[in-house]
Amino acid sequence: MRRLSATRFLILPGLALLLFLFVAPLAVILKAGLFEDGGTSGYLARFISNGAYLEVMERTVAFSAIVSAICLFAGYPIAFFIARQTKKWRPLLVFLIFVPMWMSILVRTYSWMILLGREGIVNATLMKLGLVSAPLRLIYTTGSVYLVLVQVLLPFMVMTCYSAMAEIDETHIRAARLLGARPLSAFLRVFLPLSLEGAVSGFVLVFMLSMGVFVVPGLVGGPRDTMMANLIATQVEQTNWGFGAALALVLLATTLAAMSVIRLATRRFVFSPARETAA
Amino acid sequence: MKALRSLILGGLLAATIGAACAADATIIVSGSGGTLTDVQKSIFQEPFTAKTGIQVENIATTSRVSALKAMKMTGTAQWDVTELTGSDFQQAANAGYLEPIDWNVVDPKHQMPEIARQEYGLAAGSYSTIIGVRTDKLPPGKQMTSWKDFWDVKTFPGPRALQNGALDNLEFALLADGVSKDKIYEILRTDEGIDRAFKKLDEIKPSIVSWWKAGAQPVQMLANGEVFYTSAWNGRITKLAADGVPAAIVWNEGSLKPSYECIPVGAQHRKEALEYLAFLIADAKMNANFAMQMPYPGFVPGMFDFMPIDAAKTMPTYAPNQAVQFASDNSFWVDRRDKLNERWEAWLLK
Repeated sequence: MRRLSATRFLILPGLALLLFLFVAPLAVILKAGLFEDGGTSGYLARFISNGAYLEVMERTVAFSAIVSAICLFAGYPIAFFIARQTKKWRPLLVFLIFVPMWMSILVRTYSWMILLGREGIVNATLMKLGLVSAPLRLIYTTGSVYLVLVQVLLPFMVMTCYSAMAEIDETHIRAARLLGARPLSAFLRVFLPLSLEGAVSGFVLVFMLSMGVFVVPGLVGGPRDTMMANLIATQVEQTNWGFGAALALVLLATTLAAMSVIRLATRRFVFSPARETAA
Repeated sequence: MKALRSLILGGLLAATIGAACAADATIIVSGSGGTLTDVQKSIFQEPFTAKTGIQVENIATTSRVSALKAMKMTGTAQWDVTELTGSDFQQAANAGYLEPIDWNVVDPKHQMPEIARQEYGLAAGSYSTIIGVRTDKLPPGKQMTSWKDFWDVKTFPGPRALQNGALDNLEFALLADGVSKDKIYEILRTDEGIDRAFKKLDEIKPSIVSWWKAGAQPVQMLANGEVFYTSAWNGRITKLAADGVPAAIVWNEGSLKPSYECIPVGAQHRKEALEYLAFLIADAKMNANFAMQMPYPGFVPGMFDFMPIDAAKTMPTYAPNQAVQFASDNSFWVDRRDKLNERWEAWLLK
């Protein structure tokens, strides 16, 4: 026991960092958003009473949910494909998924601007092939925000799903097959439940990241594609720090609430080893 | 251990260098960065350092009023000089984020016009928000000459952009609605005037493909044909045209604004900063050279004598250009900016 309590001190540096760099700033934001000159601030009331702000919040949530869903349906099969490869190929495929993540999100967004522009590569090709007579409106649309964000966030989904799949004991599936399950049935009743934990984690991760996006809607989004993070940035630029802090709190609370809902709603479908052993 | 030792040595070395530099003061100048700073460096700062021995360190910054507020709150001024424009300047001055300028040091002979000699800043440059036009996209035989034309999507079809914010756009909307330049702010000071401007903006909204935030955006959109017409800052359009893109400036009804060099309150090298400001306006020829590379001219008298006429024509303060623009009113915006921007955001999301 003595050895254990000694190792316990090892968490102190990390704990101190968290305290100073996360908990303390959060407390400052909490104070700035909720209180003003000794009394409670009217920022939350201002947020709730303004239909435009509520609309931005709703849009941000809906947008994040859709992005996460697209990433899930595109990313799960990719992860499955990688997990089914031989051990020799897996590291290479995983590496390929990681490559785009090493490039700055800003650079990738600018590249999309070149591709999707009115006189960009996509439009130029379509025009040259005679498929369209006038350039299509691709950039500065909600669709382009989805496209770019899915491209940016897909690796997170693939990696989360893959790491859950890689942990699945192959013998379970073999056992199912030996006991007479068809391949589809073995997948649906054994593999899928075992991998669902990864899928839900991936969904939550992508959702969380989408809730805070700022660069992509600002650069390729249309006039109405303002997200919460853009709204916060505007408040900070205009020195309305208190209101900006209140908006940040609303965003944080909404994200936490949405994540809890996702977790609760999926709990009964997700196989959790911890729960199994406890029961 | 080896790594630790070299770390300590490195630290000692850095401390020694730091001590050596303290003999010659270094002032920290906050500005937009990029080409503007490069030109400032070669035209003003290098001769300044040669003459006075004061080093200049440039840092590129945005959201400066926000940063000044933080400096005031924490009591540590990180800059000695900062560039501020329009209502930012007014807001910072009103909020007490700036040192008053000692004009006896900066302009002892009182050569500068009053517009340049502000209590809390030196108007060291000027710029204008104008209409940038892709001339090759104009309908044949037509010229865009006013905000009325910008709003006229039948005669001038094509995608457009405007800046994201109430500033300038409310003025432009009233001009498009037939208000004369000298009546803009009188009308905007009434609630009906504001409603009228937003109503006029409703008309153009469907034709705006992007509401830009950074000054480089409209230039880039003009360059790759994303938009045919946009509001933009004059200097960038001049540069775009010089780079071979068929782009032109409509000076008529442009929104002219001085840009100020200011000293944050509690600046560590206030004396040297004042010397720096004095140097910026000491030489008309130097100012002409600066403006020819970066068409954001200051107000130094005699500057245009050192400039060929073709260059003078690209300047917002060149008399014929200045005459057709209107002066953006800081005092109008400073009190109303927050409220109008909140309305602007709500309007934009409608």
